[in-house]
Amino acid sequence: MSSKTAVIAKLALRNLRRQARRSLLTAASMIAGGALLIFSLILGDGTHEQWIDSAVRMADGHLAVQSVGFQDSRALKDRIPSESRGLVEQALRQGGFPANINDMVPRLAVTGMASSAAGARPARILGVDPVVEAAFSVLDEKVRQGRYLQSGDRLAAFVGIGLLEALDLRLGSKFVLTAQDAGGEIAGQLVRVVGTFRTGIPEVDRSLLHIPLSTAGAWLGCSGDVTSIGLLLGNSEQVPQTRSSLRQRLSQHPGSEELQVLSWRESLPELDAAVKIDDFSNYLFQGILFGIIALGIVNTVLMSVMYRRREFGVLQALGLTPGQSASLVLVEGLFLTVLSGTIGIALGLSVTWFLWGEGLDLSSMMNNEWTFSGVVMEPVVVPRFRVARMVQGLSFIFLIGMLASLYPALRALRIDVAETMKFER
Amino acid sequence: MVGNPALRTEAVWKVFHQEAEEVRAVRGVTLTIQPGEFVVLAGPSGSGKTTLLNLIGGLTRPTDGRVWVDGLELTRMGSRELARMRLEKLGFIFQSYNLLPVLSALENAEFPLLLRGMERDQRERRVRELFQRTGLAGLEHRRPGKLSGGQQQRVAVIRAVVGEPALVLADEPTANLDSAASDILLTVMEELNRDLGTTFIFATHDSRLMERSRRLIHLVDGQIVSDQWQESRREQ
Repeated sequence: MSSKTAVIAKLALRNLRRQARRSLLTAASMIAGGALLIFSLILGDGTHEQWIDSAVRMADGHLAVQSVGFQDSRALKDRIPSESRGLVEQALRQGGFPANINDMVPRLAVTGMASSAAGARPARILGVDPVVEAAFSVLDEKVRQGRYLQSGDRLAAFVGIGLLEALDLRLGSKFVLTAQDAGGEIAGQLVRVVGTFRTGIPEVDRSLLHIPLSTAGAWLGCSGDVTSIGLLLGNSEQVPQTRSSLRQRLSQHPGSEELQVLSWRESLPELDAAVKIDDFSNYLFQGILFGIIALGIVNTVLMSVMYRRREFGVLQALGLTPGQSASLVLVEGLFLTVLSGTIGIALGLSVTWFLWGEGLDLSSMMNNEWTFSGVVMEPVVVPRFRVARMVQGLSFIFLIGMLASLYPALRALRIDVAETMKFER
Repeated sequence: MVGNPALRTEAVWKVFHQEAEEVRAVRGVTLTIQPGEFVVLAGPSGSGKTTLLNLIGGLTRPTDGRVWVDGLELTRMGSRELARMRLEKLGFIFQSYNLLPVLSALENAEFPLLLRGMERDQRERRVRELFQRTGLAGLEHRRPGKLSGGQQQRVAVIRAVVGEPALVLADEPTANLDSAASDILLTVMEELNRDLGTTFIFATHDSRLMERSRRLIHLVDGQIVSDQWQESRREQ
């Protein structure tokens, strides 16, 4: 550090201490702002992660390997044949299973009809491997009656409560599934209700049902084939890197050009939009809040400059350049904002950690289950602590400090030394 | 080989424009001051004393004419060069002392050396010696607010001379002091002038200071009307 830089830093700190009350008042607003900023960021991240986790478990995971075209057609013709499925599984296991992939589920999805003596209803039929699906999906935790599918089940169906009621079925009742098979023919399959679930999402409860993957394959004439292979990661942050590494691995195998790796943002565009809108409204709120705080900082630093005009004149008479005088103001503003902002962030983190580290319980505000975009809102929001958010928060505060000090610094830069000395007369 | 004069001005003008009015604060002043002089610029209010000091100090730019300090021409310098010149060649003493309130007496006094990047030991040795010389020993760690006016002004004098500048510019240094404090201050400055060879230029109304100067320059309406060498009363 040069001698002048050291002098500027020393003067800046002493000047802040000199106007202790004014500095503390401004710092208090920045501390509150910093705490609120980090609180809302980590709580927002926790909420979003919960939405994503809930949605990807109901859907195709954080990442889904599908045949090109399936995302749009949702038709059995765009399925992954068993050879390609083997290729994907081989690519994933090659050189060790990536550590951040927690679960991998093959699924055979088809849209068809579920019929009983009471009538027929459209149904979204998922052929699943009961063992891996139970670890992947949350459906097995939503059992209302009976049980989830088990290994060895053949003609079993796990049915949404809405569909069960619409078809006037009970546990043990038989009903018929009808859908277009791999050959384009209409095929039927008799199944028996072994359990029912209730997610709280009406459209899911009214249409979804799980049957064993082997049963679905045999029924639809495509044993061993799947429509998607879902991957559940540790968290949504790992998606871009894992997707890129998976694409890299797949590209080394012939036939991989028929496959695509979709992230949850592509397979669940409504959720992606909801997260972005929520982030935007959060940023907007923070922007307005920090705009107000910045005005307070401008006022404090500007008052300090106006009050000390002659001092700036003296400093320049003693050998500081106008630019160095201005940098003194910038440093004061930055010290004030960055120090108090850092304290605020630390305070926000500590309070959130100690009070709501295990989760912020909002159940008293949620009378009934709350769903949107196919996501069930959990009543307990668990904050998500990420270093990146702290760095973002500090950078934002640094930027605010810099911007808020800019105008007062310009005023200091333009001080006419001879003019300031006239006040002595 | 003859060294540079401490100060040389050549036909320096300073014209201010106040609304429609043109104020000629300094009118064609040509002046040379040699190293070691103890000079007083005297004259009534509005005679241009302070403006001339500001021009010499590079705090304001002349409308016309040229100024050299220790052989360096100020009129061609940019703001960075002027700042460096002020740091290395000039010392300032102001009427209101203008010590930095957030620094102790010692820190104020060593400020120019600090800006020059001088080592702490060397800095403190030089400043403490001057504190001793000027009767301020023991007050090094007091803030300006805890010093009397006379003491503050002596700290300002130390700050002005500590870097051994070519020229010390003092604008009404005794105006806020009582007679006793003024006398002490003037004695200190005379001794520094005599012992260290520091060149002083004062702008003042103070008759005591005029009497103790060795060169008295009278300004009226921005022009030099007399430039007299005299034996100071103390020397008499």
